[in-house]
Amino acid sequence: MPDKQLTREETTGRITEVTSIISHQLKTPLAGIKSSLEILLSGDLGEVSVKQREYLALALDGSNKMIGLIKNLLDASRIDEGRMQLASTPTDIGALAKTVVDDLVTFAQAKNTTLSITLEENIPKTSVDALKIHEVINNIVYNAIRYSKGKGTVSVGVRRDGHDVLFSCVDTGIGIGEGDRNKIFSKFYRSPHVSALAPDGSGLGLYISKAIIEKSGGKIWFESEEGRGSTFSFSLPIQ
Amino acid sequence: MADQKKILIIEDDKFLLKLYSDKLSREGFLVSMAISGEEGLGKVKQEKPDLVLLDVILPQKNGFDILGALKLDPETKGVPVIMLTNLGQDSDIKTGLDLGAVDYLVKTDFSITKLPEVVRKHIAIHGATTTPSSS
Repeated sequence: MPDKQLTREETTGRITEVTSIISHQLKTPLAGIKSSLEILLSGDLGEVSVKQREYLALALDGSNKMIGLIKNLLDASRIDEGRMQLASTPTDIGALAKTVVDDLVTFAQAKNTTLSITLEENIPKTSVDALKIHEVINNIVYNAIRYSKGKGTVSVGVRRDGHDVLFSCVDTGIGIGEGDRNKIFSKFYRSPHVSALAPDGSGLGLYISKAIIEKSGGKIWFESEEGRGSTFSFSLPIQ
Repeated sequence: MADQKKILIIEDDKFLLKLYSDKLSREGFLVSMAISGEEGLGKVKQEKPDLVLLDVILPQKNGFDILGALKLDPETKGVPVIMLTNLGQDSDIKTGLDLGAVDYLVKTDFSITKLPEVVRKHIAIHGATTTPSSS
């Protein structure tokens, strides 16, 4: 007997469930691949030539990207099911932003982009999930660098704005076209311009970022001019 | 070797089990392995390891059930247990630490090259006690 026709919600639910199961199943062999590559790269099993090291490093980079993608898929499925869980601890958003900027300096240099940060002093802490907000900041700043063109600049700032902490990231990158503006936070959406510049994105980063910020009681938005750059911002309430 | 520390790895994935056991053996640990929860519980009692590395998704009994059973048994409650799993939600980590694990490592986020160092650290700190902490 054929299956009964599924409603749109049931179909979404099944897709989410399958995504979740497949993602979990993929993590175990990936952990093994990543660990094997790390052991080989560490020289634990014998000397590794420069060329071998280069290939092993590329394979490790690929594994880490797959792990990142799986995490994003799991996060997205949790968001769709309303199961995303956030911790709540007093967090210094400026310190989180500084960590992200420090981690991305090398990537920015490789892209010929000047990355800077300005932090206002004595900003009160906010009660949020520090790991998740770190993920949001990393998504925004990483995108700003990735989609920069020529000799660009990316300026990160954190300041107090009334009862909120305001994060902003200003870039001189490709900007966002009119046709893409209302889709930028949609799940799996990638602008054709963006896909041409960086084909390996999943279109999940901003979807997940929006869900995290909104569930944390904040707001996220952007302003952009095509060909001149974008500013991505979020605010979180000081409690 | 008189001071060779005994590590029991409870892990059902044979690929990972080999990687973890080989790595720890190369670093001078005496490694024992179990591929199910029941087997692992039996080996903790029988072999009295200095530390247990425990996965969560396992056949028969899951890792949290095993951890709970180990901490309830006066004979095994002093053995430090590190959770080594792919379940990385805050609620999973909280469950593991609340049940008495001394650390909680997520396989895909953690580098195997650091495993011996973490194991040594916890044997030194928790060899006689079981106060929870997180790396």
